[in-house]
Amino acid sequence: MLWWIIILIVVVIFILIMVFSYYNRFTVLQNRINNSFAQIDVQLRKRSDLVPNLVQAVKGYMGHEQKIMKEVTEARKALLKVIPSKDMKSKMKAGDALQGALKSLFAIAENYPNLKANENFLQLQKEISAIEDKVAYARQFYNDSVLGYNNLCKTIPGKWFAAMFNKKAGKYLEIPAASRAVPKISF
Amino acid sequence: MKKISFHDQIARNKRNSFFLVIIVFIVLIVLGYAISFAFSPDYFFFIMILATIISLVYVMITFYNSDKIALASVKAKKADPVLHRELYHAVENMSLASGMPMPKIYIMPGAQINAFATGRNPEHGVICVTEGALNILNKQELEAVVGHEMAHIANYDIRFVTTVAIVVGAVSIFSQLFLRSLWFRGNRRSQGNALFFVIAIVLAILAPIIVKLVQLAISRKREFMADAGSVQFTRYPPGMINALKKIKADHEKLKVPTAVAPMFLSDTTKRKVAVLFQTHPPIDKRIKVLERM
Repeated sequence: MLWWIIILIVVVIFILIMVFSYYNRFTVLQNRINNSFAQIDVQLRKRSDLVPNLVQAVKGYMGHEQKIMKEVTEARKALLKVIPSKDMKSKMKAGDALQGALKSLFAIAENYPNLKANENFLQLQKEISAIEDKVAYARQFYNDSVLGYNNLCKTIPGKWFAAMFNKKAGKYLEIPAASRAVPKISF
Repeated sequence: MKKISFHDQIARNKRNSFFLVIIVFIVLIVLGYAISFAFSPDYFFFIMILATIISLVYVMITFYNSDKIALASVKAKKADPVLHRELYHAVENMSLASGMPMPKIYIMPGAQINAFATGRNPEHGVICVTEGALNILNKQELEAVVGHEMAHIANYDIRFVTTVAIVVGAVSIFSQLFLRSLWFRGNRRSQGNALFFVIAIVLAILAPIIVKLVQLAISRKREFMADAGSVQFTRYPPGMINALKKIKADHEKLKVPTAVAPMFLSDTTKRKVAVLFQTHPPIDKRIKVLERM
């Protein structure tokens, strides 16, 4: 009789430890996803912070290229508007739009030899392309975090605990193929 | 050739490292058991406690200052955020890709390509690269090398290697104490069992060698693991492969104190020694594994 009670207590303690540790693991992994989400925001903000400096730097050389200047400024405004939101998709879209506009600006800048000799401009160009890498890496880590979380949600016994705590698998970010390609900077 | 995923590679290496640690502990227990039978048990117990305390204090001091000691021993200097912009970008990229806090960045003199990571946990992580690595490696290769070091930090390799070093140190201290104590035993030999006495002597001589080999084997496993981690972060195996190829072509070896040699990206010893006695796996083998990812 005594043995049965001891075994029962051990089993109950074991189950409790399992429940607690799985709950904590879900929480840790979810926090990791949220944190990597915030990391993407940081990079997007950094990118939009550089835009006014860039516009200032190129104004003197290509001030009459109104269309692209406006495009970049508008894209930045649109991005700044969506950064505080939780909607990752529109955020990514706005981020890509700004990146696209900046890319065309740099392409046009190729026609201005004086601008290309400007130290300040080159610096900004380098920084902006470095930030593009960082956005890509931050997105990658976001997806890695989601992968870790989903693996826990979809394997046994994590699957049962996920159902118990009502945890649902997370969504991956689509990484556009073009954003991984490092832009060629020619001097 | 069969493709292996870097996740599998990391998992396999973790498992292998675990078994290696188990082997070291078994050696330690068997050795202690044999010695305690050879001697009177209570006398042995006293030695064991004393040796453990001494080695623990020693290890704690070195553990908490390991980064400073390592950086000072190679004359490393803090990297400049403006001057070494590329390196800062590479480290920041890898810190984003790994989700690790941004480590401190140091540069050490030397024309060769090499790098190491130190710091007792990710919050105190330090990455140090040689001037040669900055000059010779391109952007992707530098990122891969930094990713390799970041993987060492993420895997808690510094703590792991230190822990193994404690056990290895403890084994050799026990062996030494036992072998030396034989000189003072004289004709009190009747206390212990004669057969166990012989076994204990043999073990005391062999054990430090065995655990040293295990320590080196673990060190090599961790290198494969960090290579796999680097690929996980960069998602670009050719980066690490090309960096290793450049290191291979780079004949001139770096002069560093032997104590910090296992921490480096590639082997720093000049001699040609058997794989069993090296801190790092052969570069060709590392490239071969990377090419399968």
